[in-house]
Amino acid sequence: MSAFWIGLTIGLPWLGALALWLLGDRRPAVQHGLAVAAAVAGALAAVGLALFAANPVPVSLMPAALWGELTFQPDGLGVLLALIAAVVGSLTVVFSTAYMRGEHSLARYYALILIFIGAMVGLVLSASLLLLFIFWEITALCSYALIAFHNDDPRAVAAGVKALIMTQTGGVGLLAGVLIIHSQTGSYAINDFLVQAPHFPPGALTIVAFAFLVAAMAKSAQVPFHSWLPDAMEAPTPVSALIHAATLVNAGVYLLARFYPAFAEVPGWKAAVVGVGVLSALLAGVMALVAGDLKRVLAYSTISQLGYMVYAVGTGAIFASQFHLLSHAVFKALLFLAAGAVIQATGTRRLSELGGLGRAMPIVRNFFIVGALALAGLPVLNGFWSKDLVLESGFEQGPTWAVVTMLAVSSLTALYTVRVVWLVFFGRDHSARATAEAPVLMRVVLGVLAGLTATTWLAAGLLSQRLSDTLTGQPLATMSTWEMAVGLLAEPTTYLALGASALGLALWAWRGRLTPWVEKRSRFVQRAAEADFGFDWLSRQPASLARRSATWLARTQTGQLNWNMAGLVGALALILTLLVWRAR
Amino acid sequence: MSTPAFGWVIALPLIAAPGLYLASRLSRRPAVARWLCLLTLAGDGWLYFMVTRTPGAAGAQAFFGGSAVMQWDGLAQLLAALALTLGTLVALFSTADIAGAPDEEKYYALLLVLVGVLIGVGCARDLFNLWIWFEALAVSTYLLVAFHREPPTSLEATVKYLVQSAAGTSLVLLGIALVLMQTGTLDLAAIPLAAKAAGSPALLAAGGLFVVGLGVKAALVPLHSWLPDAHAQAPSGISAMLSGVVIAAGLVALLRAVAPLAALSDLRADVGWLFLGLGAVNMLYGNLLALRQVSLKRLLAYSSLSHIGYVLLGIGVALSSGQPAGAAAGMLHLLNHGLMKGLAFLSAGALVYALQTSTTQHASLKTIDLAGAAQRYPLVALALSVALLSLAGLPPLAGFTSKWQIFAAGFATGHGTTELLVAFAAFNSVLSLAYYAPVLNILYRQQPSEAVRAGRLVPAVMKLPLLALSLLIVVVGLRPDLLQGLAAAAGSALMAAIGS
Repeated sequence: MSAFWIGLTIGLPWLGALALWLLGDRRPAVQHGLAVAAAVAGALAAVGLALFAANPVPVSLMPAALWGELTFQPDGLGVLLALIAAVVGSLTVVFSTAYMRGEHSLARYYALILIFIGAMVGLVLSASLLLLFIFWEITALCSYALIAFHNDDPRAVAAGVKALIMTQTGGVGLLAGVLIIHSQTGSYAINDFLVQAPHFPPGALTIVAFAFLVAAMAKSAQVPFHSWLPDAMEAPTPVSALIHAATLVNAGVYLLARFYPAFAEVPGWKAAVVGVGVLSALLAGVMALVAGDLKRVLAYSTISQLGYMVYAVGTGAIFASQFHLLSHAVFKALLFLAAGAVIQATGTRRLSELGGLGRAMPIVRNFFIVGALALAGLPVLNGFWSKDLVLESGFEQGPTWAVVTMLAVSSLTALYTVRVVWLVFFGRDHSARATAEAPVLMRVVLGVLAGLTATTWLAAGLLSQRLSDTLTGQPLATMSTWEMAVGLLAEPTTYLALGASALGLALWAWRGRLTPWVEKRSRFVQRAAEADFGFDWLSRQPASLARRSATWLARTQTGQLNWNMAGLVGALALILTLLVWRAR
Repeated sequence: MSTPAFGWVIALPLIAAPGLYLASRLSRRPAVARWLCLLTLAGDGWLYFMVTRTPGAAGAQAFFGGSAVMQWDGLAQLLAALALTLGTLVALFSTADIAGAPDEEKYYALLLVLVGVLIGVGCARDLFNLWIWFEALAVSTYLLVAFHREPPTSLEATVKYLVQSAAGTSLVLLGIALVLMQTGTLDLAAIPLAAKAAGSPALLAAGGLFVVGLGVKAALVPLHSWLPDAHAQAPSGISAMLSGVVIAAGLVALLRAVAPLAALSDLRADVGWLFLGLGAVNMLYGNLLALRQVSLKRLLAYSSLSHIGYVLLGIGVALSSGQPAGAAAGMLHLLNHGLMKGLAFLSAGALVYALQTSTTQHASLKTIDLAGAAQRYPLVALALSVALLSLAGLPPLAGFTSKWQIFAAGFATGHGTTELLVAFAAFNSVLSLAYYAPVLNILYRQQPSEAVRAGRLVPAVMKLPLLALSLLIVVVGLRPDLLQGLAAAAGSALMAAIGS
């Protein structure tokens, strides 16, 4: 039963991708229609999976001899993320039909998106570490190809290759972790590992835990592996919404949450996770404040919000992290797609060239503001509840310095959010750039996402039920939405968080008085933030080292025969020396 | 004496080659050569198939009254399978690529010789015999590398290749003399039993001479320096054979020659560590130099160095730890590399054919000239993409399966240094993306380059091998167990030869 639904959820988008590829770029109308059909069918299958087949029992789909058990496990955690991938994916594809109208290479565009959706679903449902790794790599490949979709633009290509190499570098951590697990348990089954982890030699488990953390940091764009994500904004905006906000970047958080029971007892691991989350949330928040590009602001905000989720995992608040993941996926997809509508209408992403667009595009503005309010954590949108749950759990279980910092980040979030809303839709009037409101299809998609932003928090009870029913070994308690709401409203952290958000809004209101002070006192912070705190420079160093050593090594390839023969003689001398040394 | 069945697998192409040449020359029809070549290879493939299905066909067999012992073990079968598969596809590809070149019939005759000799190298079971086959291999490839007489650089490349190979084989001959002096036998199966010579310095020196002498063909750094020139200057079909099978044959010969000496002196683990070291050097050097290449074929040639590094890593893991999984994984990678690099060179060749008006500019096709090639040549671009992604080790393609198995074998040893080397290899795979990925981006540009705009059509007969190899790579990626039998047999043959 569940095999059927899983097969459909992964298979339908992939079949669509195959059909699109075979069809080629001859008939754009058919391409749009086919892509929508495949994506929506996949989303419906995901809903079917969630409704009828969610259970923690692994099922086998492909009986390939050598790959061992290729199994999937539709438990609460996996089904939630699969649902997000399929539903947000289908909304993005619908949005794309308007956004990508008249673009070239639509077959490549849609096929890659559909392959990505299927792979993302596979990644989160996989019950085998090997399968998880395979899907992990396929999502990275799709992400690279879509970032560099406009291959003629050297910046897009550089960004794509950077994203690929940085996430793959982290992927080496996943590879090493998986292979160590396999060498210890003789199996790729995730459940076997979770059961046997307490019996691992401590050294091995520590290496696995930190290797997985590195993989998660690279995939979820956490400091210091984050600098690929802002650059990835060269991708077409629907791709940014789907892959670089709502789904792919969640894979790292998913990985940490999935293996939390195994790693929680590893000394220093939880502290490291908390540290990574807090640092990412803070630094990215500051960078979002100074970024001058609409999409880059949203990208830094994604890093910051992912920091909240990572922090939540580090404090053991698995439910809170996944609940915030759901909220963020919805409201950030809304923000990105609304930004896409703006970018398509105006042809620019620079905040200095935007402004006053609210008059020309009131509907897009309103939807964007819904998303912004959720991001800023204002009631009663989904971001409010989930962020407060993260902070409340952090207050109870995590270190105090961390929760205080995260409260400060809440102010920062409200501040950069209101800044970007102001600079795009209010403020200086560049409304002449936008001639008309976004197309109907775009507005419909934005409306659906805005509706979801207002309502997904109502599913908190159902989600917590599903998670605690189907996940073993996780620190989860069941609570209804009502209990959560009442409980949160009785907590002081909720009011602290609200106060922090209000402070952020107030800071914006007082900006006239504050700006001179800021410019005098903290110019260096601004400069550092604009320079990505040096992390971008740092991330370029390995590449530059490789290039320099390649240049240096290339001198050995002279093309002169004498020199070639010297290599041969040298090798002989070396081998004989080794033998003499060995014989002694 | 009846010749055993596998002898015919070697003999058929060697016998057919002069016949093909004469028939085509006398009839003045190059088409005769093309058809006879394809027919012979197809027939040889059928023979191979029948032999592998016949129980008892494997094992050693003496020829010429016992003066030449040949064996049909796992290593021999793997090399034969690779040579026949790639040889057939290359012959098919060449029917369009070489069409109209002067002395076309010589090309096909030499290709048949090359395939026959490659199978022979794999089957040799005594050192002298191995040396003879190895020299024959070198001779047939010299002529093929220099097949295009223009530009002079192709001759220069051949001369370098010739001089380095000859120097290498003279070292091998010296080593053979030392072995004969110490053990009194050249039979690879008998050497490990010559117990009184165990550990003698002369034997160790012979082993060193074998590693260096045969390492020239196996493209071990720093013996590799002939390779980028030769692989880039050769006709594209021959580049595919050189990179896909000839390097593999060099490695097989090296393993064959070194294994009994290591077994005799109980040096299995030491040889394993040597291979691990050589593998690490090859990976890094090949990747870093590939990073700098602007010519597509040279880029692919350097990437071969790094892939030999992965194979050595797998074998080194097995030898240093005594666990056979690594050897099977390394052999699977050798096989996969043949398919991947074959596809890469053939699709590069199709682009050379399409974009260069004359066939004399082989090495000079720059990656930047491929801009927008996907628009006009979607299938060729896709094939090249599949090859490059598979070489980079991305799932679900063939290259991923064998790399994964090599890495898994490395971690299964539980040895810290080995695990670090595996992690190093994984980082090397990431590094390789830095030169594969930009090629893909160039292929899928919207603005076509001058060369692409002026390019000519790629005939269907060239696309056929590309399609076949692409499919094979995807299928092996999804079902690596299909090749596992071949790879495991080769791995265990190696482990048996080295005495564990």
